[in-house]
Amino acid sequence: MNTAATPVQPLKLPDLAAPAALGGSWNNILAIAGVVIKELCRRKDFYVLFVLTALITLAMGSVSFFSEDKIVRYVKELCLFLIWIASLVIAITTAARQIPVERENRTLFPLLAKPVTRNQLLLGKFLGCWLAVGLSLLAFYVFFGVIAGTKEHEWPVLNYFQAATLHWFMLGVVCAMTLLGSLVFAAPSSNNTITFAVSVGILLVGRHLNKIALKLEEPTQTVVYAIYFALPHLELFDVRDLIVHNWGLIRWDIWAAALAYAAVYAALFLGLACLRFRHRALN
Amino acid sequence: MTTSALPLVLLGVTAFSLATTLEPWFQSWAGSRTGSGSLIQVALGDGRKLFARHLYLKADAYFHNGYYPTIYDSKEGFEKAHVSEDRHQDGEHGEETEDFLGQPKDWLDRFSRHFFPARHTHLGDSGCGHSCCQRAKENHEEHHNCEHEHDHDSDEKSAAGLEREVLPWLRFSTALDPEQPEMYVVGAFHLRRSLNKPKEAEQFLREGLQANPGHPEILFALGRIQNEVHQDIGRARNLWELALRNWKKAEAAKTEPDVLLHAQLLSNLAKLEETQRNYARALEYLAELKGFSPHPEVLQGWIDDLKKQVASPPTP
Repeated sequence: MNTAATPVQPLKLPDLAAPAALGGSWNNILAIAGVVIKELCRRKDFYVLFVLTALITLAMGSVSFFSEDKIVRYVKELCLFLIWIASLVIAITTAARQIPVERENRTLFPLLAKPVTRNQLLLGKFLGCWLAVGLSLLAFYVFFGVIAGTKEHEWPVLNYFQAATLHWFMLGVVCAMTLLGSLVFAAPSSNNTITFAVSVGILLVGRHLNKIALKLEEPTQTVVYAIYFALPHLELFDVRDLIVHNWGLIRWDIWAAALAYAAVYAALFLGLACLRFRHRALN
Repeated sequence: MTTSALPLVLLGVTAFSLATTLEPWFQSWAGSRTGSGSLIQVALGDGRKLFARHLYLKADAYFHNGYYPTIYDSKEGFEKAHVSEDRHQDGEHGEETEDFLGQPKDWLDRFSRHFFPARHTHLGDSGCGHSCCQRAKENHEEHHNCEHEHDHDSDEKSAAGLEREVLPWLRFSTALDPEQPEMYVVGAFHLRRSLNKPKEAEQFLREGLQANPGHPEILFALGRIQNEVHQDIGRARNLWELALRNWKKAEAAKTEPDVLLHAQLLSNLAKLEETQRNYARALEYLAELKGFSPHPEVLQGWIDDLKKQVASPPTP
């Protein structure tokens, strides 16, 4: 029996200022996010990519093969491929320019002179980028659904919902990674290139790194396997083949676990970005 | 002014003279692409053949509903495109060996298999994509005991004719490299058998024959259309006989000839001659077929039957 006397804790009164501070922080983050969303609406990137995707898809969809008008999967594949490319470009270029442009235009100093912390600024920028990308994804997936539905006469809305949400959360990880990159690399152009190359590399090879590792000798095998477990597996969220070939729904618990996986990696990159931003000279 | 213009005039005259010399040479040069009417050939050159092969494999991947090995996977069982077959010849056991993914290597590998096609299925297999519904993977009876909530009968109806999805890739592939007779034969097979479009199949084969004059495989496929669709025995015979002659010219000298095509030609010709009561010709084809068939006893039985028919007087 533990006979040691436990120290008496002083009675703590509830801190009434804490929820107000939290609300204030949230308001700051939302305000900054709103500016980022408005910026995406003003810029032409999304419109150009959307029109290009729509034109290519419609042109390819109008091609007739052997008078068979029910052929649809190649159109779905092409459309989803273009959506993935366009969304990656939008996410990376939008996130990469946020901090450098603020610094270049010298709007960062008056922003931080207001009651906005560096963390709030970074979180606001991330939330804005992520929501803006989500809005563009919504437009893209509605277009995809309409094209696929008019050809297939089927509306697997839940499948499209799963695909779009997984895609969106994956882009959240990419946005966070790009924001971290914008604090590490000197110029937005280098950040754009490196983040794009890394993302595409993970999408292409990520799933196969374990197989590559198993064919290697030690200690390289352990190193490659460690990389395999450490890197964010963006390819998990690429369910295009399931959509194109009309496979069934992903189990909802598995879907939720994938979203949680993305959230953890996004939080990790954002945490690293906050740390980096906090210790970085603004000028 | 005059002095500075002289070198320019000299350069212009030299360029013109060189052009008059080089242009005729370029037009007759074997490596010139200007002779081709195809924009793709001009743009890609021989590189288009690589893309054509890739598109053909894409058709095979579509035939497997996206379940297809990458360069990092074992390709055992996938060396030959399955899209060229009606179904796998080896049945269930053959398909088990074609599970290129194998057992999951780690928890992440197991988790990731929920996000891409990780079961061996084919276009046209009915079912919801669950293992209990996949006829290609599981026992047929389990299909009816499926616990998933969907109408299997309507699934079977909607699954009919799904082979059409491979056709765009075959068409793109032949546009890139028309000198691949297999693609025409595969495309025509699906058009005729799965989509019931013999006219389009015949047209596609004729395009293939234009690009690959006298190719025995295409001639054989055209003969089948004449025989089975148009019931034109004479044309079918002519096409198959020509195919047989061309096969002997092209394949007989090879170390690994296409024996399957040879056997198909001989057996079809024998059957055709038997139906036309030309027993002597039928026996000739069967004797040739028996020479390399893995089942000579079966052919001997067929030969014996024919000999009996020759010996017995025709029934009035």
